[in-house]
Amino acid sequence: MPSYSITRPSRQEDYARFSPDTPIVIDNGGSSFRIGWAGESDPRVTFRNVVQRPRHKATGETVTIVGDHDPSLMKYFDCTRTSFRSPFDNNVVYQFEIMEYVLDYGFERLGANLQVDHPILMTECICNPLSSRSKMAELLFETYGVPSIAFGVDAVFSYKLNQQFGRCNEDGLAICSGFSASHVIPIVKGEPVTEACCRTNIGGYHVTNYLKQLLSLKYPYHMSSITWEKAEELKMEHCYVATDFASELQLFQKGNEEAKEKTRCWQLPWVPPTQGDVPSEEELARRAALKEKQGQRLRDMAAARKSIRITELENELNGLEDLLQQLDEVEEPEVSSILSGTKFFSRQEIESAILRVTQSLRKAKGEPSEPEEKNDSSLSEKYPLVSVPDELLSPEQLKEKKRQIFLKTTSEGRLLAKRKRYEEESLREKQNQLDEEKRLENPELYLEQLHDRYRELSEKVELRKRVKTNGNQNLSGGVGRGERLSAAQKERMRLLTSAAFDRGKGEDTFGARDEDWQLYKLMSKDNDDDDNGQDEDEAELARVTSRLQDIDPNFVPKSDLVPPQATSEFSKFRPQSLEDFKIVIGVERFRCPEVLFQPNMIGIDQAGLDEMAGISLRRLDRVDDPMKDDITKSILVTGGSALLPGLLPRLEVGIQQIRPYLSPLTVVRACDPILDAWRGAAIYANSPRFSLQTLSIQDYYEKGESLLRQYQIKYTI
Amino acid sequence: MEAEVVSSEMVLPAALPFKRVQMSDKYPKGQSRGRHWKHLKQILQAENYASLPAHEPNYLNIESPPSLYPSKKYCDVTGFEAPYTDPRTKLRYANQDVFKRIRSLPNEMPRGTWLCHRFN
Repeated sequence: MPSYSITRPSRQEDYARFSPDTPIVIDNGGSSFRIGWAGESDPRVTFRNVVQRPRHKATGETVTIVGDHDPSLMKYFDCTRTSFRSPFDNNVVYQFEIMEYVLDYGFERLGANLQVDHPILMTECICNPLSSRSKMAELLFETYGVPSIAFGVDAVFSYKLNQQFGRCNEDGLAICSGFSASHVIPIVKGEPVTEACCRTNIGGYHVTNYLKQLLSLKYPYHMSSITWEKAEELKMEHCYVATDFASELQLFQKGNEEAKEKTRCWQLPWVPPTQGDVPSEEELARRAALKEKQGQRLRDMAAARKSIRITELENELNGLEDLLQQLDEVEEPEVSSILSGTKFFSRQEIESAILRVTQSLRKAKGEPSEPEEKNDSSLSEKYPLVSVPDELLSPEQLKEKKRQIFLKTTSEGRLLAKRKRYEEESLREKQNQLDEEKRLENPELYLEQLHDRYRELSEKVELRKRVKTNGNQNLSGGVGRGERLSAAQKERMRLLTSAAFDRGKGEDTFGARDEDWQLYKLMSKDNDDDDNGQDEDEAELARVTSRLQDIDPNFVPKSDLVPPQATSEFSKFRPQSLEDFKIVIGVERFRCPEVLFQPNMIGIDQAGLDEMAGISLRRLDRVDDPMKDDITKSILVTGGSALLPGLLPRLEVGIQQIRPYLSPLTVVRACDPILDAWRGAAIYANSPRFSLQTLSIQDYYEKGESLLRQYQIKYTI
Repeated sequence: MEAEVVSSEMVLPAALPFKRVQMSDKYPKGQSRGRHWKHLKQILQAENYASLPAHEPNYLNIESPPSLYPSKKYCDVTGFEAPYTDPRTKLRYANQDVFKRIRSLPNEMPRGTWLCHRFN
C-alpha cells in the first residue's frame, strides 16, 4: 500500500559514483515504482506508478507529469481531458508509452546523465505474457541502451529476503496480495514452483475501490468528497480483517456497545449556517435610520429639482410677459421684426404660451389647477360644434367637430371617474364610522370578529394563490410534473395535446366551422384564472389588516410570518447539521478487506486468499504429504494488503480448515511487506553470480524473443 | 513555465540525454498513431496459450478456479446479509428501511460502475 504523500523525490547526485557493474534494481509494482542501487538497503526513488499528461495553461503545450504531485501546482495545468494513467492492465504492463515515461522519470531521478550503462533487474508478475516481457526488454535495450537485464518475481524476492532473516524456510508458501492481483507461490528447495502457483485478480485496489463505492452509496450527498485517494487513506487507517466475518457482522447488526466502539467517523468540514433570521434591536434601528437617511436624501433631491423647475418657469413667464409688453408698446409694422427674433409668429401664440407656462408653474408649485370647473360652466361654448349637425359644416369644421367630441367625452369621463371615486371614499368613510361605532360599543367582541374575518379572508386568498401558483408552496420536491398543474392548466394541456393529435391524421377540417376557433379562446392562458372575486377579497383583506394594525398592537400580519416557516420546512431536506457531514465507517471497516477472502462480493468468481493456499498445495502434485506439512510450516504473507490488521489470524483459520486435522501451520508476515520485494531484489542483484542470470544486449540482438520465452532466473545463487 | 512549477521539477523534460531514442522521435508530434497498444485480453489472445502444452504454466492457467464456498449476498448499504434485491437498481438490501433509502437515492448515482461485474 502506498502512502500518498506529495513529497516528490529529489534527483540523486551520486550517479557517476557507481561503477558500470553495479546493477540498477527496479520494483515495477502496480501502485508504486521503486528504483535504486543493488546492495543498498532502500530504494533511492519511489513514486506512484502513474502518468498524467495535462496541458500547460500558459504555453498550451502538453506536458508529462509522472507520479503524484502537489495539487496546489495543478492550477497551472488543464487536466480536464486527462486523468491518471497506469502502464498496467491488471498486473501486466500493456501501455509501453506510459511505461517509458515512468522509466524516463525513474532514471532521471536516479541521476542518470549520459547513458544508463548499468545492468537492470526488474520485477514482473509471475508468468508474465511473453509479448509484455519482450516489449519491456525492447524498451530497455533499444531506447535506453542498457547492457543487460534480468526479470524476477517480486513475491519470491520478498520470500528469499525473509528466508535470509530466518522468518521462513527453504520450503514454504509465499502469499502475496498486491495492488491488482494476489498470488500464492509455493517455494520448494528455495525455488518457486511456477506450475503450482495460483492467482486471483483481486488486490488492494479492489479493497479501496469497494470502500469508495460503498461510502458513495451510503452518502450520496458527499460523493465528491469521497475521492479514491481519500478512500485509500481511510482503508489504511481503519480497515481490518475480521477473523470470523459472520459473527463480526452479527455484532454490528445487534448494534451493542462493542460495535459502537468499533465504529469510526470521518468528519467532513462543515460550516454552521449563519444565523441571519433574527436581527437585534440595534440592528433594526440602524437599518431604519439608514432607510430614513436615504429617503431624506431622495426627498431633498426632489425638492431641489422642483425649485429649479419653478425658477426656470418663472423666468420663462417673465420673458414672455416682457415680450408681450414690448409688442403692446410698438406699432404694428415693427411687430414682425420683434417676432422674427423669437420663435413665435403671432401675438396669440405668445398668449397661449404664457397660459401654458402659468399652468405648469402652478402644477410645479403644487397649487390646484382651476380651469376645469370653469370648463363645466362653459361646456356649450367650449365645444360649439358638437351640437351642430354635420350637414351645415365645412370639411374643416367637420374635423374640428370630431376633435371637440373627443375632448368632450374624455373630460366627461374624467369627471365621472372623479365622482365615482368620491362616492367610494364616502362609502368607505361611512363603513369606517360604522366600524368605529361598533368598536366603541363592544371593543372585545369587535376585535374578535375582526380577527375571525381576517383569518377567513387570508385563508381564502392563500388558497386561491396556491391554486394559481400550482400548489408549489411546499418546497419538498418529489412531485411529478403532472401533479404540479392546476385543474385549469391541466385542461389546457389536454386541449393542446388533443388539438395537436387531431391535426395529424385524416382530412383537416379545422376552421370549417366558426366554433372551431373558440378552441383558441379556451386554450389561451387568460382563461386560467377568474380573478373577479379575488380582487374584492384582497381589497377587503387589506382593509381588515390595516384596521387591525391600527387598533391591535399585538397584531402581526400573516405574510410576515410566512418566510421563517418556509425556511424551516426547507431545511428538512438538506444535510445541514454536523451529523450530516459525518461519514460513519462501521461495517465497512472489515467488509471491504473481506473481498480478499470472498471475491464474489464484488463479482469476481475466484477463490479467496485462504482457498488459494489450498489450491496451490493441491497443484503441487509431485510433492508428498509430509513435504506439504513442511511447506505449511513456513507461510509468508507479503504485499501491501499484508498490512491489514487481522489478515494473518484469518489466514490461519482459513488454511486450517482446508488442511487435515492437526496438521502444522505457521503464518508469518514479511518484515516489511511493501519494501521487502525491492530489498530482496537488491541483495540478489548484488550477488557476484548475478551476471550469470542476466540477458545481455548481444544475446537479445542475436536470438531475440525465443530467448525471452525460455528465460527464467534461478533465485538461489 | 512558472517558477514554482520549474522549481518543483514536476514536469518531465522533453528530451533526456541518457536515451538513445527520444520520445519526440519515437512518437512524432501531429501524427495520429491510433491505438498502438493492446489490452490484456488481446495480449493473452495473441499469446495463443492453447497451442502450448497444458502442463506448462502460463498467465491464464495459473488463475484460481471459482470458490467452493457458497457465495453469500450482502446488503449494499448496511453490509448485513441481504435476502432481497431491488429489481430496478439491482441493489441488494437487508430490510424495508434500506429499501426506502436506495429508492430515494439521487438519480445520477453512477450505477454503471457500481457492481457492474455482478450484473453484466
